[in-house]
Amino acid sequence: MLKRALAIITLLIIGYWIAQGLAGVPFGQDRMLVGQYYLDHVKAQTGAINVVTAIVVNYRGFDTLGEVTVLFIASTGVGALLWRRKKERTAKTKGSIVLTTGTRLLVPFIIVFGAYIFIHGHLTPGGGFPGGATIATAFLLLYLAFTQYEIPHKAFEQTEGVAGMSYVLVGLIGLVLGSYFLYDWIWQQWHWGINNVGRLFSGGFIPIIYTLIAIKVGTELSGIIDNMLKEEVRE
Amino acid sequence: MISAYYFGAISLVLIGLYAVLVKKNVLKILIGLSIMESGVNLLLVSIGYISGRSAPILSEGIGPNQAVDPIPQALVLTAIVIGVATTALALSAAIILYEKYGTLNVEEIRRLRG
Amino acid sequence: MNVQYASLLIALPLISAFFVPLIKRAGEKGIKAYLVIITAIQAGIAGWVFNTVYTTGKPIIVMAGAWKPPVGIDLYIGHFAALFVLIVAVISFFTAVFSIWSMKVQPIDKYAMLLLLLMLGATGMIATGDIFNLFVFMEITSITAYALTAYNKTGEAAEASLKYMILGGIGSSFFLIGLTLIYGSLGTLNMAQIAQLAGNMNPMVAQVGLALIIFGLAVEAELFPLNAWAPDAYQAAPHAITVMFSAFVVKAGLYAIARLLYLMQAVESWHNVLKLLIAMATLTVVVAEFAALRQRDVKRMISYSSISQVGMIAFALALGTQAGVDAGVFHMINHAIVKALLFLGVGYVGVKLGGTAIEDFQGLGRRMPLTAFTLTVGSLAAVGIPLFNIFWSKIRILIAGVQAGYTWGVALILGASVVEAVYYLRFIHTMWFVGEGERVREGLAISLILLFLAALVIVIGVYPNYAWNLAQKAGSDIFNVGQYIKNVPLMGVGA
Repeated sequence: MLKRALAIITLLIIGYWIAQGLAGVPFGQDRMLVGQYYLDHVKAQTGAINVVTAIVVNYRGFDTLGEVTVLFIASTGVGALLWRRKKERTAKTKGSIVLTTGTRLLVPFIIVFGAYIFIHGHLTPGGGFPGGATIATAFLLLYLAFTQYEIPHKAFEQTEGVAGMSYVLVGLIGLVLGSYFLYDWIWQQWHWGINNVGRLFSGGFIPIIYTLIAIKVGTELSGIIDNMLKEEVRE
Repeated sequence: MISAYYFGAISLVLIGLYAVLVKKNVLKILIGLSIMESGVNLLLVSIGYISGRSAPILSEGIGPNQAVDPIPQALVLTAIVIGVATTALALSAAIILYEKYGTLNVEEIRRLRG
Repeated sequence: MNVQYASLLIALPLISAFFVPLIKRAGEKGIKAYLVIITAIQAGIAGWVFNTVYTTGKPIIVMAGAWKPPVGIDLYIGHFAALFVLIVAVISFFTAVFSIWSMKVQPIDKYAMLLLLLMLGATGMIATGDIFNLFVFMEITSITAYALTAYNKTGEAAEASLKYMILGGIGSSFFLIGLTLIYGSLGTLNMAQIAQLAGNMNPMVAQVGLALIIFGLAVEAELFPLNAWAPDAYQAAPHAITVMFSAFVVKAGLYAIARLLYLMQAVESWHNVLKLLIAMATLTVVVAEFAALRQRDVKRMISYSSISQVGMIAFALALGTQAGVDAGVFHMINHAIVKALLFLGVGYVGVKLGGTAIEDFQGLGRRMPLTAFTLTVGSLAAVGIPLFNIFWSKIRILIAGVQAGYTWGVALILGASVVEAVYYLRFIHTMWFVGEGERVREGLAISLILLFLAALVIVIGVYPNYAWNLAQKAGSDIFNVGQYIKNVPLMGVGA
């Protein structure tokens, strides 16, 4: 009882203090400095019309490299913590007829929808991360519906590694061709798609990187689900 | 005093922090952590809003002066992914804890560890 | 050679970590050898960067994507970053060599990936010039540390890791709220531009924002009251990983606090934040020393000692003067060497003799004389005895503290040092004068590493001037914000 009261009082004090700080940053005001530069120059410098995507992949691409690494660490960490010599699925209840039929119908459409999200990352909201998560949802649905289904574990791990390496390689090619790491050589040196702004074949290396990210995220999240759903085989 | 969006976001953070400090079941603590992170992401996105403007996608009719600030949205993309990674690892640690101690109650675990 | 190749410091560990799933076929020995090779290459690149920065005297600015800051992200590799990236790489190399004997828990391939990414995270935190990039690299470091703490998969390891994760999650949320406030009032995320515009900030916003950021970083930097995770995590982690935690992960957190603190010097409410940090630092020192006195397990005892020394570094950095910052950086260098030595030695004893309780160290002088000798050198250094390196940095911290007017803080630190002497001397006494035992063979590579580190401790203790000059250059890199702003090629970003 005392602990709860103490916790509530501390939290109210913290909340009041943060609110005082927020009072100096009024809601809805135009405070953009670097943001305005991005809005003014994004079409000419990156070829994308989705400004958020251009920032995430092109202007602040270094952060995205870090983010991809964080997901990789999560997947590796879950694999290391839940590692066992032999494992198998132990689900006992079979999925109902509605679930199995619905899954068989829906999985191809979900994968296509996920692919649509990441291919059009530079034109509509979305990008690699939601696209990859949608594809992982398709695999989750397969796990839910069929008690014996398993993803090909080794192949997925190797795909994940290859996709990550390709992302760093794209950055290193930029270092070699344009003498800066993560230089967008497709838009800025080869000028591919420069008349196509607003349509699919534009955006420099944004579609390529988003494809790699989506493959990576999809295989990683499926790997995490697979690790958590299996238990040890006792001889 | 402060806008409703800021108030809502800070309340989410405080509710999450309350759950982390007071609850005894490991899963409830992790849910509290998740709620805290959602509150912080909401606060970050609200900072970028500019009254009367629309989404930062420069298709027909939206010029560079009719879009809200795109930077906080890019930051939140990264922050959400980081939150997911932390939650996944925390759940794995909770699975190991349950296997070794048979309970998810923090005080029971402390007592069993000695 | 084009200085943008310094970005290989980040690209190399990344691509090698992603490559590991493809070489799983090579087996345990192949992966451990791969780890040693990659950390050696990273140490080589870090050595080249260190040489370039210290001979030309100008920092290397790596611009990712060819965008000038603040439009793009830049890596600012100045004197401090060049020195510490080298320390990170060399200690990772030693850890990789140590892992060949000490790491037996499967799966080894995932251990190799996590170790490379921990090295990457600390390198990125030290080298970056953008505040959100600092957050991303801090999360890389933290999440890798969570996974590595629980690596041994025992009950204690899982509990320690969970405690670390909860505190780390709270810390990173606070950091983001502070970052929201700073971005909201300034509109930029680049560190040099923040320093340039800091004078225009509303003092209340600046105070709350900076304090929240420091709370967030205090989890990584192990300051009171957010360091409750540290003793459990250090004890439960694999022996090789504890070396990395105490030698450079905590230093990266301390550096981030110092950098962000001094960037916002121009804010009016700066001194309030300094006072908060001094209070946290002094409490860290006092609480940790008294806890260390009661420990029966040597690894845990040295963990508490490490935490109290970190408190001393934070005290020096929070004084607000050039002398304080220089002393703090010098202590960071010395502390990294001494703690790497101590944890490597203790870990080696743990692997060979099966445990790290104080009873396992009885008669070590007869059983493993080389290890016992190097552990004695490390313990004497940690206490601060003259002729060993920590004596010089402790003296400088105390002098800077008195000059800045914090005599009560200095008195508390001196008292804590006396307590430290008590339990370290008790440890040395146990090793040489209690118990008997037969001679145990000591491996060649580990003995060479331990002797090298012990030699460094004694050399810096007897001739401190070279290291003190390095520390002064690195310290002025942090303190002298005007020079920092001039070095970064900021692009004017319009109205």
